[in-house]
Amino acid sequence: MTDNLTSIPTSATAQDQKAKEAYFTASQRQLVWARFKKQRAAMVAAAVLIVLIVSGILAPFLSPYDPTIAGRNKDYLNGAPNIPMFCDKNGCSLRPFLHTIERERSIKTNFRWVEKINDDKRRYVQFFVTGSDYKILGFIPGDLHLFGIDDGFVHLFGTDASGKDIFSRTLHAIWTSLQVGSIGVFIAFVLALVIGGVSGYYGGWIDSVLQMVTDAVRTVPAIPLFMAIAAFIPQEWTSEMRFFFISLILGLIGWPTLARRVRTHLLTERNQEYVLAAQLSGASSSHIIRRHLLPSFTSYIIVDLVISFPYMVLSETALSFIGLGLKDPVNSLGVMLQNVTSADVLMNYQWYFIPVIFFIVLVMAFVFVGDGLRDAADPYSDLNN
Amino acid sequence: MDRLIEVKNLTLKFRTDEGLITAVEDVSFSLNRGEVMGLVGESGSGKSVTAKALMHLNARNALYDPESSIILHTDRGPVDVLSLRRPADLKVVRGGAISMIFQEPMASFAPSISIGKQMVEQLQLHGDLSKAQAREISVEMLDRVGISDPAKRFDQYAFELSGGMRQRAMIAMALSTKPKLLIADEPTTALDVTIQAQVLDLMKDLVDEFNMGIIFITHDLGVVAQTANKVSVMYLGRIIEEGPVRGVINTPMHPYTKGLLAALPRLDDLDAPLTPVPGDIPSPLERPQGCVFNTRCGELMGALCSTHIPSEEWVKPEHRVLCHHFNKDAS
Amino acid sequence: MAGKNLITASGLSVSYRIGRGLFSQTVLKAVNNVSLNIEQGSFFGLVGESGSGKTTLGRALLNAVPISDGSAHYDDGEVSFDLSNLDKPQLAEYRRRAQLIFQDPYAALSPRMTVRDIIAEPLEVMKMASSREEVDERVREIAGRCRLNLEHLRRFPHAFSGGQRQRISIARALVSRPRFVVADESVAALDVSIQADVLNLLKQLQKELGLTFMFISHDLSVVAHTCDHVAVMYLGRLVETAPTRKLFAAPKHPYTKALFSAIPSLNPDDKGKAQKLEGEIPSPTNQPTGCKFNTRCRYATDLCRQDEPMLETVDEGHEVACHRWKELSS
Repeated sequence: MTDNLTSIPTSATAQDQKAKEAYFTASQRQLVWARFKKQRAAMVAAAVLIVLIVSGILAPFLSPYDPTIAGRNKDYLNGAPNIPMFCDKNGCSLRPFLHTIERERSIKTNFRWVEKINDDKRRYVQFFVTGSDYKILGFIPGDLHLFGIDDGFVHLFGTDASGKDIFSRTLHAIWTSLQVGSIGVFIAFVLALVIGGVSGYYGGWIDSVLQMVTDAVRTVPAIPLFMAIAAFIPQEWTSEMRFFFISLILGLIGWPTLARRVRTHLLTERNQEYVLAAQLSGASSSHIIRRHLLPSFTSYIIVDLVISFPYMVLSETALSFIGLGLKDPVNSLGVMLQNVTSADVLMNYQWYFIPVIFFIVLVMAFVFVGDGLRDAADPYSDLNN
Repeated sequence: MDRLIEVKNLTLKFRTDEGLITAVEDVSFSLNRGEVMGLVGESGSGKSVTAKALMHLNARNALYDPESSIILHTDRGPVDVLSLRRPADLKVVRGGAISMIFQEPMASFAPSISIGKQMVEQLQLHGDLSKAQAREISVEMLDRVGISDPAKRFDQYAFELSGGMRQRAMIAMALSTKPKLLIADEPTTALDVTIQAQVLDLMKDLVDEFNMGIIFITHDLGVVAQTANKVSVMYLGRIIEEGPVRGVINTPMHPYTKGLLAALPRLDDLDAPLTPVPGDIPSPLERPQGCVFNTRCGELMGALCSTHIPSEEWVKPEHRVLCHHFNKDAS
Repeated sequence: MAGKNLITASGLSVSYRIGRGLFSQTVLKAVNNVSLNIEQGSFFGLVGESGSGKTTLGRALLNAVPISDGSAHYDDGEVSFDLSNLDKPQLAEYRRRAQLIFQDPYAALSPRMTVRDIIAEPLEVMKMASSREEVDERVREIAGRCRLNLEHLRRFPHAFSGGQRQRISIARALVSRPRFVVADESVAALDVSIQADVLNLLKQLQKELGLTFMFISHDLSVVAHTCDHVAVMYLGRLVETAPTRKLFAAPKHPYTKALFSAIPSLNPDDKGKAQKLEGEIPSPTNQPTGCKFNTRCRYATDLCRQDEPMLETVDEGHEVACHRWKELSS
């Protein structure tokens, strides 16, 4: 009396059969990926996210100018965005170009900037120009930039009060925010795994004590904490040190939520019958954790990680915005938003808000990918009878 | 009129990630008042889906074939259940003329509301009763189902009652609206056997007293033998045999029914071997062509069984089978 | 060696302290003073309803829950252990010889491991094979005995039905060649036709591999067909134990009789043998005094309400714990 899943007569074609076999032998990761692919919103968000991350990494290459004071355009402070054109009154061209804007401020114009566009002279946008030096990821040197212009500056998003190119600043800011987020999430994750893991696996009084600690840390109010830290950071610290310190603190107060999730997952999984089966074979705790428990919640943890990311980015942005986090000259979205608060800007220099759009898109992309992962992460739930 | 419900050509498919799955195919049956029908089948047979269809309770991804029809005969005339859409219309069917009880009573009682409150809510939804009147009826029902100290139990919560008592309370709640038809989906499967015996006795008494019809869904043929008048055996969404309970159990016609009976351990013959039905139930994605049972049947009639669906045959006045062996014109 | 006892339990009790807080005093005696013998090579059935303690007893015999009182011994002719007193190396050795098959085929298999890995795990954990080839060989052999194909080994549990999963569970339990296997409600979650298949497989494996089974179930008919010897439990106590035929032909304990008559018979005309039991099973935390069954027994006397009956011998292999069994059977 043999039993064969594949002995059913050919109502299924060979291709059908291959597909079914693939389904039967699919590991958890493959099943999750298959389910994830079916969700259009999540796939789009994932694509957007990858684009943003790559833009962040390659920011120095993609931006035409150095985002710090060194790369500023002294003649074009608070300048409006220059959008390259293809056609003007003299005809069209395949290569995009810009006209020069001459600005004048004098008693005649009541000390307001008056702009005159010189539309006879075309300045063509060049691609792959040599420009200022940079180091991608901090160690790959280069000086090639994606685009530039043959005479003068091209400011796709305009400039700020000191003439720094907002486009360049935005790209670098994305990278900074991602870095801070990564470090924060990493620290939180490690702490959460250890504390939540021990708590969930051993239970009992260890669990009670650790839970009290977790709750205590969670109740620490963020703003007063950061105000205190802002006061405490010595002025001599370089911006890099400050940067790492802020990330560290974000991680140190961000772990309780993750720890709680890890603990809950472990508490449920620990009581599963297959864990008991392994224990009855005499498996050690480390074997059970490694082979049964960890794989069982890897997918959930990845979801948690992805969803924690935007919170870290949001936290850093908010803190920098109110001046308690990173400061100039470090580029982060929060720092760039610091300048947005005056009415002057709101009325006259609306292009300062362009980084906000990037910021929103970045956070939303993380959220959608996280949600998509969460929906895809439990392919086994509806296979049980 | 004696007829309670008529189901004709019920075909139901579900849209899932893996494709269109046929859960119920061409199911027809009818039930009269005072009759108990056993709906027997194993996993994947479609019995629960059929029961839920009677109250139009299936999930949103359920696709009913246009030829399917479920006619419920209420006091106000025949009602086409599948055409009902508005909650007000469905209310007549759900909990009103038809009540349903489930396998897991903890699942049908809200854990944080007392049993009494839920029963009263049920009653008030289906009639114009004041709270006091509803309470009186509920306590009376609790007493009727054999729950001791009913007034006290009325205020208790589901977790405070034992399994058997919870099941009785659920029966009380289901019957308080005086339904014409009771659908019981594996109501005693989760109960201990001594408690099951009590609950089955109770249900039989209630059928007599209320003159209800009961559709009793179970996988346990013994329960069916003791409670039902007629039994329908389902396999992979089709009724493959239906008849009076003595007829089907003592003289089964369909190879699957015979297989089921041969696989049952019987207390009156301890020496008989247990013969399983060979093979496994095909996965819903691999629905067999022709007769649904052909992949496991030991009495195949050649290629016919895997290419043609048998037509229904009445071998005795009330006993029908879906099998080529009984098709007079085997085409 | 038939006739020799593989497992002997004497006055075995398992208690839990339940309730929240560090100082709770409520004690739940899940198994209460149970004494029994399981003959080597037999198929021993343990029957009871909820609260009977049968699952706890099975686990206690496997050393999966601690024994609070009394003793239990394992002796297969090669080694012998005192199960209430095992040190680490003894426990490791016992694990190789005693295994458990779970009830729920869906929860007992790790969804993220292939079938091959699931079956191989006991061998790897207990270090019973010296090379990967040997592990594979033994996995293939036991999988074949359990009627699993080679291609099944590469698949994940989600590809299989309940019956097939249970066979994987069985293969996992048997891969280490144990002597004693506890099957805890192993067919309860299966369809009737699959149940027969798995039961036949278990009997076949018993013959082929010389196993001793303890079959825990609430389903008397299943037990009647597969077991040589049956023990009936109620609220943690052993109320009757006998060879199967004797028990079903002439049960002596009122509870056993009520259990039999409660089983719905396949004969529709078979009504009213019923000695239907009234009342509910008492809560294990609030057990009655005297004979635990007295609250539901129609023959209970004052003696029954005060004194717990001891196991008395009816005849060869047949024991019952009831004050009135003699008068009730005449």
